[in-house]
Amino acid sequence: MRLDGKGLPVIAVSTLTAAGLAGRGLAQRVLEKSLPRPSELAPPAPSRPEDIRQKKLMSRAAWFSALVMRGALEEARWDEARAEIGAFFGVGASGAEMDEVARLVAASMEDGQFSLARCGREGLDACNPLFAFQIMNNFTLCHGAILEGLAGPNAAFFSRGTGTVTALEEACAAIMSGACERALVGGADTALHPVTMAELEREGFLRQGLTPAEGAAALAITSTAEAPLGYVEAVRVFPVERPRGTLVPRTGVLRDAAVPAALDALEDQPCDVVVLAPWGAPAREALLDLPQVLEAELSVDTSLTLGESLAATPALAWAVTLDLLAHLDKPRALVLSAGPDGDLGVVVLAKGGA
Amino acid sequence: MKRRVFVRGRGAITPLGETWPASRDALAEGRSAVAPVQHFDVEGYPSQVAATVPFPLGAWGLRSDKPSYAPKPPLDEAEDRRLALARRAADEAWAEARVSAAPSRIGVFVGAESGRATYRTIFALSRAAGGGARFDHARFGEDARALATAVHAAAVSPAAVASALAARIGAEGPVETISLACASGAAAIVSATQAIRLGLCDVALAGGVGADVDPFMLVGFGLLGALSARGVSCPFDLRRDGFVVGEGAAFVVLAAERGDARAEVAGAARTLDAFHLTAPDQAGDGAERAMRGALDDAGRVAIGYVQAHGTSTQLNDAVEAAAIRRTLGDALPNVHVGAVKGAVGHWVAGAGAIGFLCALEAVEGGICLPTAGLTEPDPACVLPHVVGAAKRKPVEAALVNAFAFGGANTSLVVSRCA
Repeated sequence: MRLDGKGLPVIAVSTLTAAGLAGRGLAQRVLEKSLPRPSELAPPAPSRPEDIRQKKLMSRAAWFSALVMRGALEEARWDEARAEIGAFFGVGASGAEMDEVARLVAASMEDGQFSLARCGREGLDACNPLFAFQIMNNFTLCHGAILEGLAGPNAAFFSRGTGTVTALEEACAAIMSGACERALVGGADTALHPVTMAELEREGFLRQGLTPAEGAAALAITSTAEAPLGYVEAVRVFPVERPRGTLVPRTGVLRDAAVPAALDALEDQPCDVVVLAPWGAPAREALLDLPQVLEAELSVDTSLTLGESLAATPALAWAVTLDLLAHLDKPRALVLSAGPDGDLGVVVLAKGGA
Repeated sequence: MKRRVFVRGRGAITPLGETWPASRDALAEGRSAVAPVQHFDVEGYPSQVAATVPFPLGAWGLRSDKPSYAPKPPLDEAEDRRLALARRAADEAWAEARVSAAPSRIGVFVGAESGRATYRTIFALSRAAGGGARFDHARFGEDARALATAVHAAAVSPAAVASALAARIGAEGPVETISLACASGAAAIVSATQAIRLGLCDVALAGGVGADVDPFMLVGFGLLGALSARGVSCPFDLRRDGFVVGEGAAFVVLAAERGDARAEVAGAARTLDAFHLTAPDQAGDGAERAMRGALDDAGRVAIGYVQAHGTSTQLNDAVEAAAIRRTLGDALPNVHVGAVKGAVGHWVAGAGAIGFLCALEAVEGGICLPTAGLTEPDPACVLPHVVGAAKRKPVEAALVNAFAFGGANTSLVVSRCA
């Protein structure tokens, strides 16, 4: 989707990474490679809600999402008419606390075997009865929306990369169509959940250089602003052909798809900065030549420093890019994410300011 | 000028029928598929009934003659039930649509939540992590990697359904998985509609699937107090006391080209309650805004039928009924209201999609499907309900509601093609 005029203004950004909760300044640390290694996050307050029932319903990703939503809203100073604000997020399926599952299973054992009858009698009493709700993917979006009073148009897209780009596409469409004037858009996820780790291992991602991480980012976009951080000029998801039965395309196919996708999104405009978010070595290799083809002055690989946090990865790359454009005083950047879902997400961002 | 979005094909597999026509005919008679759970031991569970699909489900291009709940192979090698259900419904819709478009102009939009790992998997993962009541992350790191090859993780992923359907029909356009709990299926149809309107694709397979008749969901919903203790789903009835879990899949094929379509998606809207994760806003503001948004988007249409979300829970039904009354106002006497969950249970991620098919039936076939289980309407839920069997009348346009845990609301308007 190519947006009319200058594009849609982004007026605030909030990120949560191993470096902590931050609005801006992430780009400099990415350039300096001074970020801590991707690891399990210990986010600062405000943390999970006080309401114990709500807390029990809240997965880590939901918690991360709520934090960056609050950060973006505060930076945007969107204190009024929050019920009209839209919310579009890429979300993962990294759900239930394993402690809960482990307790249920341990209490359900009989003669060394899992017993459904015993599960019904005793297992259920051993775990948080609300844990099933931690695995509902939309709760990653809805917790934050409830805590912050966001009640506008919305959608939660399951994402291993491009779902988050689709969230941005739908947020832009909602603003362009007048369904809302302001929206939060982003992603939150953890690749460190045991079931997700097992899944990534099974599919061979870990052996091929995927660095599992967790994180979140939210951008506040609006229909008009006088001095925004930047503008979204174009956003598009490019499906990439892959062999039947595999999740990711071959390196050569991804390479062949990347250049036309980038040129299509840029529509002949020059591009000073290229920000890449490849999931691992094969995707990185496929995108290697892109900065040169686009004659970009600078190329940054956010996955090398921030790791792969699945639904959060593209949104973190956008946040870093907006920061880079301001920090380096460059007019335009192309952000290309190639997540473990195999498709390409392309976003063109322009520098803001008066 | 918005691009028009025509409905070219429909398909469903439900606890009442293997196809949409078979399901529709059973629904029109007011039948219910709710019955005691047979495929696992429900002793001690908060609810012991469900609406399950009793028909054999062919596996994904592998098996075609196994009973739906045949003994499982080790770990998660058995096909994810969501995939089997979705394939059946999508095949039916795709065959009926007879559309042609370049692969890059065909999109797939699916409302789905995560598939469920089997108990064998959960058990194995737990044992790898020490097997005690505490999850031992360190031990898991050492031991569980070896298990990874035995976890059918790709099937557990929410995106597995959309990816598999895209491969099946040769779609190379947008492939999206919308995870909005009980509103997912309807929200997927909204996303597909928007994608066609924006020109991102010309044809879209859209719908939802739910396969949640499993111990985790019976436990989760049951302990929350959301399931019927009586084991009856009777939306808007005075005796309603919760919903019954169901399963199934429903899909439509939408297209920018009219072909021989008789109906189109005229309006769509999604809102959030921003109130509570598991309870609706008692004021019904979010639900009302979703309905009004869809009606505004549709322009001037005369609503003749509403397919309500109708969960059969005390609060939800009363809140929705009041919101429908406020939204439709003076037009209410011309409307009939039905809710499909009394017949086929609550499909969670697939619920909105089967609701859409019911609304479509009113517009295309003039069949206003009834609310099974409803015999004594609650005075708090006064609406022009369809009770007993279906009512037949010409319907110009119908409204569909899907409201989710987490407070996400979706409404759609489907109308007869002018």
